[in-house]
Amino acid sequence: MDTSSFILQQIVNAIFLGSIYALIALGYTMVYGIIELINFAHGELFTAGAFIGVIVLTGLQSFGFVESHFVISMFIVFGLAMAYVAVLGVAVEHVAYKPLRDSSRLAALLSALGMSIFLSNGMMLSQGVSDRAYPPVFGVEGINIGGAIITNGQIFIVLLAVAMMIALQLFVHRTRLGKAMRATAQNRTMARMLGIDIDQTIRITFMIGPALGAAAGVMVGLHYGAVRFDMGFIFMIKAFAAAILGGIGSIPGAMIGGLIIGGIEVFWAAFLPSAWKDVTTFTVLILVLYLKPSGLLGESESEVRV
Amino acid sequence: MKRVVVIVMCLMLLLCVNSLVAAKTLKIGTLSPLTGPYAQDGTDIKQGVLTAVEVFGKLEGYDKVEVIPGDSACDGGKATMAANKLINSGVKIVIGAYCSSATEPAQIPLMEAKIVQITPASTNERLSAKGYKYFFRMPPRDDVQAWSTIEFLEKKLKAKTIALIDDKQTYTAGLTENIKKFAEKNNIVKIAAHEHITAGDSDFTAVLTKIKKINPDVVYMSVYQPEASKMIRQVRKLDMKSAFMSEDAVFHPKFLEVGGEATEGVYLTFAKAPDTPERKAFEETYKKKWKADSIGSYAFYAYDAGMIALAAVKKGGTAEGDALQKALRENTWQGVTGEIKFDDKGDRKLAHIVWIVKDNKYVPYWDPLTGKDL
Repeated sequence: MDTSSFILQQIVNAIFLGSIYALIALGYTMVYGIIELINFAHGELFTAGAFIGVIVLTGLQSFGFVESHFVISMFIVFGLAMAYVAVLGVAVEHVAYKPLRDSSRLAALLSALGMSIFLSNGMMLSQGVSDRAYPPVFGVEGINIGGAIITNGQIFIVLLAVAMMIALQLFVHRTRLGKAMRATAQNRTMARMLGIDIDQTIRITFMIGPALGAAAGVMVGLHYGAVRFDMGFIFMIKAFAAAILGGIGSIPGAMIGGLIIGGIEVFWAAFLPSAWKDVTTFTVLILVLYLKPSGLLGESESEVRV
Repeated sequence: MKRVVVIVMCLMLLLCVNSLVAAKTLKIGTLSPLTGPYAQDGTDIKQGVLTAVEVFGKLEGYDKVEVIPGDSACDGGKATMAANKLINSGVKIVIGAYCSSATEPAQIPLMEAKIVQITPASTNERLSAKGYKYFFRMPPRDDVQAWSTIEFLEKKLKAKTIALIDDKQTYTAGLTENIKKFAEKNNIVKIAAHEHITAGDSDFTAVLTKIKKINPDVVYMSVYQPEASKMIRQVRKLDMKSAFMSEDAVFHPKFLEVGGEATEGVYLTFAKAPDTPERKAFEETYKKKWKADSIGSYAFYAYDAGMIALAAVKKGGTAEGDALQKALRENTWQGVTGEIKFDDKGDRKLAHIVWIVKDNKYVPYWDPLTGKDL
C-alpha cells in the first residue's frame, strides 16, 4: 500500500464516518434551530432506529426476502425505522418538551436528559444488554480505486445519506412547510401572528430530525454489524460536537461539522499517535468555539433573534 | 398513651424474636458489569454463580444461600461502590469483578473487610501481586497469556512483525505491555506498530488502514469482545492480508455471532476446556436454566468459583474469611474448567492454548507448552 492509496483510503474512511455524524447532527441542529433546546434524547432515538432496523431486517431475512428483493427490503427497513422513530420523536416532544416550552431553558434541558435516560433504560429492558447482530446484508465486495477499497455497502450508505441531506435542504428552502419552519426558527411570536401553526411546525421538526437519526442508526447497524442499547452515547457526543462546530441551528453547518469531525478523527489517527484521537476532536471544537463562538456557519444570536 | 408504648414495645420484641429465629443465610455477592458495554459478560458471570448455587443444593449449617448481584460497570468507582454495598449487606464471599480496572480498586474494601474474593475473569497480573490473602483468581494471568502468544508467533506462525492494538484500559494495555516485554526479550518478533482505539467506538478504519500500510505478519487485537467483533468485520472490508490474533476477553460466542464470516481464521488464546461429563452436565443445566443457545466463556469460571466457594464453606464449616481462604488454598478442587489448585498468591496453575475460528466455531489449534498441534 503506497502513500497515495493510503491517503485515499483514509479519505474514504473519513467521508463515511463524517456522513453518519452529519446525519445525526442534523437532528440536533434542527431541533435547536426551532425551539433552542438540545435534544439529549436524540442519541436514544438514533439507537431506537437501529433496533427497529435489526428487528425488521431479521424478519425479512428469515424468509429470504432480502436476497430476492434487495431494494424493496431496504426501503421497508429504512421506512419502518424512520416512521417509528418519527412517531417516537413527536411523542417525546409532546410528553417532555411541549409542557415546558414557556418555562426556563434549564427545565427543558433537564427534561431532555431525563427522557434520554428513560429511553435508554427502556431499550435495555426490552432489547437486552448485549450486542445484537445485524444480518450481514453487505459483504466485503467493493470497488478498488487506486488502492483504496470502497465496499458496496459504504457506497450505498453514503449515497443515501447525501440524498437525505439534499432532500432536507430542498424541503426547508422550497416548500411552504420548510418556509414555516424557517420563520418559526427566526421569530416564533411573529410567525404565530402571521398565521403559522407553531405546534404543527415543531411537531414536523420532531418528526424529520429523529427520522434522520433513525436512518443513521440503521446505517451504523448495517455497516458495523451490531447494535446495543447504549451505542447512542458515543455517536451523540460526536454528532453534538459536529452540530456545535458547524454552528448549531444551521443545517449546512451540521453537514460540514459532521464531515470535519469525521475527518479530524480519521486523519489524526492516521498520521499522529492514535491514543490522542478523541482529545483532538474536542480540542478543535474548543478552539473553534473560542475563535468563533457561534460555530462555522452559525449566525450570532443578535442577528436572528429580535 | 401507655397502651401505645406497650404495643410498640411488644412489636419491637417480636421483631427481635423474629431475627433470632430467622433463617441462617449465607450471602454470596457477585460483582460484574450488569450495565454498559460489557454487560453480556457480566450477566454470564451472575448466571454462572446462580447456577452453581442451584446445582450445589443444600449447604450444611445454613438454611439458605442467597446471591446478591452487584454492578461493577467495568468502572473503578462504580465497582468500589458496589463492593461496599455488598459488604454492608453482609456477604461473606464476592465473586468478581470482570474488568481488571474494576477489580483492582474493589479489592481494597473487600480485603480490608476480610472477605474472600474470587475473580472469574480479571487477568491483569498486578491483582495477585499485592499480597492479599483473600484474593483468588480463576483464569490464567496476562503474563502467561502474553508468553503463550509470543511462543505461538515465534514457533508456529514464524512471524517477524506484529502490530498491537489496545483500548488503553488496565487489562488491554497491560496485556500489550506484556507482549512487548516478551517480544523484546526474545528479539525475534518486532513490534511494527502500537495503535490505540477508544472503547465504545464503532469505527476503527483509520487505525486499521494505518496498519494495512505497514502490513505486519500478525495484528494483535487487545480489546474487549464488542470492539473486536466490529473491528474484524472492518478488517475484511479493508482486505487486510495480515493474520489476526486476539485474547481471552474476545473468546465469547458473541464474537462469532456478530463477527460472522469475518472471524474465520482468527487465532485466540484461552485456557483449554477439559472434556469431562461434569462440563457437559453444566452446559446442559445452564442452557436449560437460562434458555441460552450458547454459554459465555466466563460463566464456566464463575460457576467453578461459586462451586468451590460453597464446597470450601462446607469443608471448613465456616464462611469466616481467614478459615475460608485457608480451606480454598489448601485443597485441590475439580471444576468444569479443570483442576483448581491455588498457589500462595491465589493464582491457579492453568495455561492457555491457541484456538482458531473454523466454520464459525472455536477449535483447539496449538499448545504452547508442548509446541504441538491439537
